[in-house]
Formats: sequence, C-alpha cells, structure tokens
Amino acid sequence: MTIQDNDISSDLQQRVLESIASKQPLYIHGGNSKAFYGNTVDAKPLDVSQHTGIISYEPTELCVTLRAGTLLSDLETLLNNTNQILPFEPPQYTTETTIGGAIAAGISGPRRAYTGSVRDAILGVKIINGNGEIVSFGGQVMKNVAGYDLSRMMVRSQGTLGVILEVSLRLLPKPQKEITLTFESDQTSALQFFRESRLQQLPITASAWFNDQVYLRLSESETVLEHSKKKLGFDLLGDYDDFWTDIRDHQHHFFGRTDKPLWRLSLPPATKQISSVDDNQLIEWGGAQRWINSNAPANIIQNIATSNNGYAYMFKGDLPETPCFPVLDKPLMLLHKQLKRNMDPNGIFSPGRIYSGL
Amino acid sequence: MKTDITPSLLNTVKGKQADDILRTCVHCGFCNATCPTYQLLGDENDGPRGRIYLIKQLLEGKDVTESTQLHLDRCLTCRSCETTCPSGVKYSQLLDIGRSLIEEKVPRSFKERITRKLILNILPYEKRFTPLLKAGQFFKPFTPKVLRKKIPRKTTKGLLPGNSHSRKMLILDGCVQPALSPDINTATARVLDKLGISLLTIKKAGCCGAVSQHLGEEEKALVFMKNNIDAWWPEIESGAEAIVMTASGCGVMVKEYAHHLQHDSEYASKAQRISELCKDISEIVFNEDYKQLNAPEKTKISWHPPCTLQHGQKITGVVEKILGDCGYDLLPVENSHLCCGSAGTYSILQPVISTKLQQNKIESLQKHSPEMIVTGNIGCQTHLQEASNVPVIHWIHLLDN
Amino acid sequence: MSLDTNTRNNLLFQIGEILPEEYLLTSEEDIKPYECDGLSAYQKLPVAVVLPETIEQVQRIAKICSQLKVPIVARGAGTGLSGGALPHEGGIILGLSRFNKIEQIDTDNLTATVQPGVRNLAITEAARPFGLYYAPDPSSQIACSIGGNVAENAGGVHCLKYGLTIHNVQQVTIVTIDGELVTLGSQTLDTPGYDLLALITGSEGMLGIIVEIVVKLLPKPHAVKVLMASFKKVEDAGNAVANIIAEGVIPAGLEMMDKPAIHAAEAFAKANYPLDAEAILLCELDGSEQQLAEQIETVSETLRNANADDIVIADSADEQARLWAGRKSAFPAVGRISPDYYCMDGTIPRKQIAYVLKRISELSEECGLRVANVFHAGDGNLHPLILYDANKEGELEKTEKFGADILTLCVEVGGTITGEHGVGHEKIDQMCVQFSPQELTQFFAVKNAFDPDALLNPGKAVPTLHRCAELGGMHVHNGQLPHPEIPRF
Repeated sequence: MTIQDNDISSDLQQRVLESIASKQPLYIHGGNSKAFYGNTVDAKPLDVSQHTGIISYEPTELCVTLRAGTLLSDLETLLNNTNQILPFEPPQYTTETTIGGAIAAGISGPRRAYTGSVRDAILGVKIINGNGEIVSFGGQVMKNVAGYDLSRMMVRSQGTLGVILEVSLRLLPKPQKEITLTFESDQTSALQFFRESRLQQLPITASAWFNDQVYLRLSESETVLEHSKKKLGFDLLGDYDDFWTDIRDHQHHFFGRTDKPLWRLSLPPATKQISSVDDNQLIEWGGAQRWINSNAPANIIQNIATSNNGYAYMFKGDLPETPCFPVLDKPLMLLHKQLKRNMDPNGIFSPGRIYSGL
Repeated sequence: MKTDITPSLLNTVKGKQADDILRTCVHCGFCNATCPTYQLLGDENDGPRGRIYLIKQLLEGKDVTESTQLHLDRCLTCRSCETTCPSGVKYSQLLDIGRSLIEEKVPRSFKERITRKLILNILPYEKRFTPLLKAGQFFKPFTPKVLRKKIPRKTTKGLLPGNSHSRKMLILDGCVQPALSPDINTATARVLDKLGISLLTIKKAGCCGAVSQHLGEEEKALVFMKNNIDAWWPEIESGAEAIVMTASGCGVMVKEYAHHLQHDSEYASKAQRISELCKDISEIVFNEDYKQLNAPEKTKISWHPPCTLQHGQKITGVVEKILGDCGYDLLPVENSHLCCGSAGTYSILQPVISTKLQQNKIESLQKHSPEMIVTGNIGCQTHLQEASNVPVIHWIHLLDN
Repeated sequence: MSLDTNTRNNLLFQIGEILPEEYLLTSEEDIKPYECDGLSAYQKLPVAVVLPETIEQVQRIAKICSQLKVPIVARGAGTGLSGGALPHEGGIILGLSRFNKIEQIDTDNLTATVQPGVRNLAITEAARPFGLYYAPDPSSQIACSIGGNVAENAGGVHCLKYGLTIHNVQQVTIVTIDGELVTLGSQTLDTPGYDLLALITGSEGMLGIIVEIVVKLLPKPHAVKVLMASFKKVEDAGNAVANIIAEGVIPAGLEMMDKPAIHAAEAFAKANYPLDAEAILLCELDGSEQQLAEQIETVSETLRNANADDIVIADSADEQARLWAGRKSAFPAVGRISPDYYCMDGTIPRKQIAYVLKRISELSEECGLRVANVFHAGDGNLHPLILYDANKEGELEKTEKFGADILTLCVEVGGTITGEHGVGHEKIDQMCVQFSPQELTQFFAVKNAFDPDALLNPGKAVPTLHRCAELGGMHVHNGQLPHPEIPRF
C-alpha cells in the first residue's frame, strides 16, 4: 500500500482567499461519505480529498500526523502494519471516507465508550482559517495546554470553522487478540448487564444489543481473554467475523431499512429502556448510544431524549421540518453564533451545515 | 518564599528564627487542605498559608489590626498542617512568634482581656481550678445551659498501687486533669504497675505552660516550664526513666521545653534532657509486654487521635496497635486527621467554630455505632463528651481491668 | 490599571448588597494573602476579594463587574504554578473556595456532580466507598480544586493511560461575563454543536467562571503494582521509557526523578528511594490480575535491558502509597533544599527526553543554578525545578531567563511550553515563541466571542501582538516578519 504524498494546501488556500474576496461561500468536504449528515449547503464545493499523505509517524510516540484527505482505509492499513489502532474506531460508511471528514463530523465507532471519542484522540490540527491563513493548534504531544483548545473544537464543527489540512492523532497499541461473545437477553436485562459490567475489570472494547441478543467484544492477550471468557461463561460468536466493522460502518442489516427514519439517541448510559418506540432498536456503547428506526413523530422522540438528559439526532431519513441536530439552548446558541462570527468573519465556511446561522 | 523582615527584628533571635521558617515555605497551599478552619470558612486568611502571610506582614512592619489578630486567634494550633507540609515548615513555632508580637501591637477589648485573664489565672492552677469545678458540679442543675454542658460528671480516683518496683517513672499530674478526670493517672499507675513500673507524682510540678503559651503569654509559660524542671530534676538525677504524659497536650509542650529554653544558659541543657525523657503513655506501653492486658470481651470502639499526639508528637498508629492487639475492635473513622475543636482554650474563646468542629467529629466517630469513644487527651475527652451519646474515656482505662 | 474611586466605591457598595462583610475583603491587610497563587514569585493586589457561596451570587457579581467594566480573576485553591490566579490591580479576586460540596455521586452512570471548590482528592475519597475514583491526579491533588483543574486542564501522574482533565470531565456549567448560566457538554458521550467543553477546559478563567462540574468516575482497578527501577545514568532511564511504550504497554503512570529530587522527596516521605541512583523510574501498572502478571514481566524485562540497576516491585497498597508519596510531594519537598524553586512544565516527544535532559544540565552549569528534575516521563511532560533564592539580588531574573531557555528548547524539539500547568502570567512571553501572530489572533477571536470587553482574567494566557513584537520573539514565516506595521523596540 502506498499513500500518495500530495500537498495541495496552497491550492486550497487560494480557493479560500478567492472565496473571501468574492464573498462566495464554500461547502467543504472530503469523500462525501457523510453527505447526509446535516443540512444541505448551497455553496461551491471545496474538495479536500486530494490533500493526502502521512507527514510523520513514529510508533513509539503513539502519534501520527497526516493530511486530511488521506483515506481512513489507508490509515488503517498503515497502523495495522505496526500493530497500532485509532482509539475511536471511526466509521467508513463508504470506501471514500477521509480522516478529515471523520474529524469534522466527529462520529465515533463501537470502541468509543471504552477508549474515547474522536476529540479525545486529537493532539493537534493545521487549518485554513477564516482569513485564509494557515494556522496550527495543539501539537504532537499528549499534554499541551498552551492556548485555547482549538484543535478539539474542529471536531463536530463540520467545516463551519475552517478547512482542516492536517491532524495529529493519539494512537493505541493494537490488542493482541479480539473475541466476540454473545448471549440471549431482553433489553432490560441487557441494560442491567451493561451497568454492572461497567464496574468490573473486563477487557470490553465494544458492546451491542440487538434482537434480544447481547454482543461483547473483548480485546486482550490470549490468556486474559481465556480467563474472561470463562468468567463470563458466554458463547463465542462463531460465524460473523466482520460483525463490529458492519456495526461501525452501518453495513449490519439493522441499518439496511429505509422505510423509517433512523434516529440516534445519545443518552446517559444507565437510561432505562425506551419502550414507547421500541419497534426496532440497536443499542451500543453500553447503553449510551441507541439507534432507533421509528415512524414516531419527531417531537415524541426528541422529548424522550430530553427527558432522559440526552439528545435525539435525526440521523438518516427525510422528515419534513426536522433538522438533523438537536436544538441548542438560547444562551448556548448565542455563544456558537459569536464564535462562528469571529472565526469565520466572512461567513464562507459551509454556512448552515449544522445549524442555520452558523 | 521571599521575605523582607524589618532589620531591627531580623537581628533578634526570634526574628531570625521566623525568617528561617518563612523561607522554607514555598506557598504550595497543601496545608489548607487539612486545615479545619480553612475547610469550614474558605478564606485564605483562615488557613495556615494565609496566616503565614499575615505573620509575614507583621514581621515586615506592615500595619496590622484586629483582623490579623482574629485570624491568628482562630487557629486551633492543631498542627495538622505540619503533618501535611512537604517543605517542613515549623508553623506552630512561627505562630507562637506571631501571636506574641500581635499581642504587643494590637490591644484587645476589655471583655476579651477579662476572659483571657480569667483563663490564664485559673486553668493552669490546680488549686484554683479544682474548687471552682467542684462548685460547678454541685450547682450544675442551677448553672446556665452554655456552661452546664462544659461541666463533666464527677469521677472517682480509684486505688493507687504501691511504690514497689525498681523501675521508676515520673508522671505529670498537670492542672485541669486531676479535677476533671482524676481516674486517668491512677489507672495509668495501675497499668504500669502490672508492667513492672512504679509511677511517682511530684507535687511541686504543675501546669506544663501550654495555656499561657497559646494565649501569647510566653513569659508566663517560661515560668511554668522552669518550675516543672526544678521539681523533676532531683528525681531525674536519681534515675527516673521517663516523664510520663497522659494528656498529649501537655506531652507535646514538655517535649518542646528544649526548644523554648534553648537560649536560656541556665536551663537549656536541663530542658533538653527533660524533653528527651518526656514520653506519651502510649510510647511507654508500646515498649512493654502489654499483650498480657488483654480485653475481657470484644468491644467496638472509635479512636480519636488528639492533634497534639498525631500532629504535635507525630505519634500515629501506636495506640491503635496496642488496643487492636489487646482485642478491641477499632471502627473506621473518617477525617481522623481533623481537630475536634477542643484545642486547649479554643472551645471557650471560639465557641462557634469549636462547636461546628465538635459536631463534625462526633458524627464521624459515631458513624459505625461504637460502644465508646477513646482518646488520649483530657481536652478532647471533655469536649467530645459534651456532644457524645456514648462514654468518652482515656484509652488507658481499657488496659486497666 | 487601578480603578477610579467612584467605580471602586460603586463596585464595593453593590457587592456589599450581595455578600456579608466577612466575605467581601477590601483592606490591604486582608487581601494581601491573595496577592499570589502557588507561584509566589509574582504578586499583585486586587481591589477586593469576594467569596460568594451560591451560583446566583456569582451571576450577580459578574453582572456588576460587566456593567462597571471591572476585571474578574477567578481563583480556586490558589495552588496553580503559572500565576493563573495572579490578581489584577484594577479587578476583583472571585474566590470559589466556599463552593466545596459534592452534590451527587451517580453510581449507575459513573459520574460525580461537584462544586468547583471541591478538592481533587476529596472526589476520590467520596467515591471510594462505591469502588470508584476520579482519575486525574495532579501532584497537588490533596489541595487543588476541581474548578482550577478544569480551568488549567490539569494532568497528573496517571494521564498516560487515563488522560487529562479534558478526558475526564463530562459537563461544565459556567457563568458568563454577562451573568448568564450556560451548560457545556452533557451527561452523554457526545453533545451537539461545537465542543465548547474542550474549549473551556484549559481556558484559564478567560472565557467564563466555572460553577459546577460533572466528572467521570472509573472503577478502581482490581490490581495495582508499582515498580521502581533505579539507574546509574539518566539517559538510560530516558530510553527505558520509550522502550516500554514500544512494547505495547501503556502503564497507568510512568514517572522519573533525578538525584536532587530523589533526595528532597526522600527526606519528607521516607519512601526508601535509592539515594545513590542518578535517576529512578516509577512505573504503575493496573488492571486485572491476569493482565498485570503479563505486563509486570514485559516491563521488568524491558527495564533490565535498559540497564536498570535494581527493580523493586511494590505489591501492597501501603508500599505503593509510600512510593507515590515521595513523588507527589517532590515539588514542595524541594523547599527543604532550597528557599525557592521555579517549576517548569514543558512537554517534549518521548524520544527527545535524554537529549533535553542533557541540555538542561548544560544550561544549569552555564548559569550556575541547580536543577531538580521530576517529571511525567510517560507523556514527555518535564518538570525541571530551578532552585534559587528570591532574597538574593538578581537571582529571580537569572532563574526566569533559564526557565525561558528550557521552554524554547522544548518548542525546538517539537514540544510545547506547557503540558499541564497552563500559561498564566508566567509563560505568556513564551507564547510568542510557540504561536504565530495569526494563531494568536485566532485566540483573540475566541476570547472576544465569550468576553468582548476582556474582563475575565485579563493579561493572562494569550499575549497581545504588541507584547510579542516588543520581545522580538515571534515566528518568522518564510523569511518575512509578520505584521511589520507594529512598532518594535
């Protein structure tokens, strides 16, 4: 595998400067694998996916620095060769998924509840800012508190605050071995099991519940896994090697339905069973992420989330008058708007992609 | 820490000593974390680091008022901060210097002067205190409520063993303990008798000097110290092994005679010897074959380590080990490093803070329902008994059966 | 800089309506102890010190200050080492020490809701009966407040595996300069909108006043072992660190101390440190019994291959606590060997440890000031302690220069000027070395969004371009001096 070393930062910068001059906004994107995630932006596209390459990678530093357009699949292969992994296991909804897009969207995969989120792994970024300048924040070391944490702010900003050119990420050693255990359980007992397992010293790195079956991924050395398996007494999931990749990339058949909107509920993990819309649910992250296929009215689902101190995202599907992202409180929204105004004074970066006015 | 002490003061023994102490402080603030008054009040001025700063201002010749005096008064002198301090700041010595200086600089109100005078002229003198207490105990039903709870029930002394062993030690009767709880020293005598040691009381010895010292009356304190040294000296010369302390508050003071008299040509070396011979009763028992004093039955107890024992004398774990070995069930007690609020005369002079600390302490001591609370200092004992539902006694009684 | 009499009187009158007299300190005598934080080399007197007890009081005080344009410097336990809580002459110190309640421990979701003045260690103490703890443990954890931890993004000895404050906080409620109450983050694993929680963490009191925090709790590891390895050469210890990581082991803590630090810490903690060693490594491993058994073997072998003289394995909790006690009290314990010390906080890539330590000892010889090194080796976070005497004329200045050289060295090898203590007042000039004017301008933009009148902790953390220009310490990009229009002196 070779990763193309292709630095197009000056082209990108030129495009941004032109756009500032002409007051023409840009829609920033990488591989377009998450195009559905957010509002449509009526602007000229700025494609970052050709900006590729590894800037530096030294396994003993547990850190990689790379260009934003680099394909996630390429990065995965590179890390795999040196027995390391990305802690946040980002989804690749298509093979075109880039690391820049993964950072900007901030969606984490099955490992999230156990080894941290996208933003937890960010060490530094280089971006084109709202004035068309190339600036860097953070660095390549794990501890760094000089200046405001603008690198982590890029996560979930979806191209509205700047163009991500490079990122430095913290890595983890790849576990020696992984196994998936499974057992039958209704939702209530599954949630109860998740709650109790949080207090135990189990090497769990992913968990799911679907169709009255609990799935657990354990990652460790051979002997530790053997011991844990014996202690838990569950069966190995035998005939489905790509189970977690399919969950991560939404290739699992649960995600195949298109007749109902797909909601993502982000909740405090110990939240009890959401029963009023339980026609079709897939639970991840020990209860903290719940995918729901449901035709229930948007406000009902949103209310369920809010009353449990959580959020409902209209992840996929067309519901008129229903934005993808949960509504923010007024003072919080005001802060967002002031930040956007100050960081993107010309309003050229993917306007309205997350919220109107941002 | 940078210091700028006025030259006239810096030329004195005390000024130099204060400067040395101040300069070991690196202002890290760890001390505030274990300071009972800082935890309650949350003002830097009510924690050791702030008080050090206040004293620094005093020494640097800045204007100081009753405000500094109040914050220094509020210090319990529990010395918890000294245990916590990684830099080894001798806080209580600095505080002594600060207190005596401010006493000169800031006059107290008439009412405060009277209270302090009364304390200074009654508490340290057994012959004045005992009759007053007896009257109090007699008239307890008729005394005002605030005072009433401060008057403990009457206790009897019990029998004293004979004076037959060749191993001899001295014991300090002290000032208030013989009146408040005369049974402590007799119990101690019986316990040591079983361990083959005879205890001698020297009648001429009296208050250790701590009361005066803490109220900033250093000269008076020195008088008490010298008096005790003179009283004990003949017995020391004829071979007494140790001076036993059953009140850790007195113990910490006597152990510091050497420090207080280091510049007195006449007493310095005697004080040194006295301080070396001074031992808390737990230190004595620990070195003997105490396991023969086994408890008749397993009793659940909560142990309250007096500040003067754990922070002042740095004796920790010793009483716990003795009692555990003798078959007592010691319950876990949270925040055992914090002061109970008695702190010598503090409970009289700072009643509000003292009562709050007392409540917190009783809460943690009684959390696991002990049958009794044991401690090692008469001040803590009477103070805790005021608020406790179970008996509070000196731990030595547990070995006296 | 200082306030005019009218504004001052107006301010004190209005705050006096909110707070009782004893919690509004104004006389020089009373406010003097607040003139510095844990970095006592710098002092300033504020106009007043206010010690509110409720969120509503904080909101009202913020509104008054906002209206009168009076700066606010928030302060927790005052243990910070970068002068972040150094007062402003024209402003107030807003002390949060009375916000010291732990409001809730949620054993289902593994979180604790606490007030900002709660001590870091008090959270772990409160969580202990439930088998839980709060992971970040700065050396000052006995005293430092959680609010201060968030403001500085504090680290500690267990960051390598468990992350910094930013990784262990779920939700922070702030009072803005307008007195609005805003909640950032949530009780869930992600929150819609920009990551303002990340932004407020480590913002050094410049964006808002933290009034409530929800932290993550972790189950206490079933088994913990601490290894202590002693080395004859500092370089060997440095290399051992990189080798352990290369083996795929992430220790819970990996700390290093050099000879002077070992001696000072030993004097206080009586930890049985080897006094003849040039350096020691403390390596904590945790997890299940089985995990530990394998890791101990791997790490011991790696250490031996890196020329470790002696390896001690502490099994019992007491023994481990004693080994850590020395490390955690190492900074102030240095007070025993020097009247003053100046603690640096640069972070460097692990591979540069041996080189940087060598350079530091050369610099130390050049300027004639001793250094004790205590640091988080696992994450490359150095804490050289420069020993000096503030009472000696000119020694502080010499120390500052030495410190600045160390930080420049850290940036040169690809690191940063501060890993966990924050920029504060102390390292503000070094910010000009690490960031370009464009980057600093971006910081101003963020600051302006939260605090347009720059009333929250002004003068800290982010230097003005003017200041950098005067220092001449700016980045020179492509041979061009940035902002040529700014006068240089």
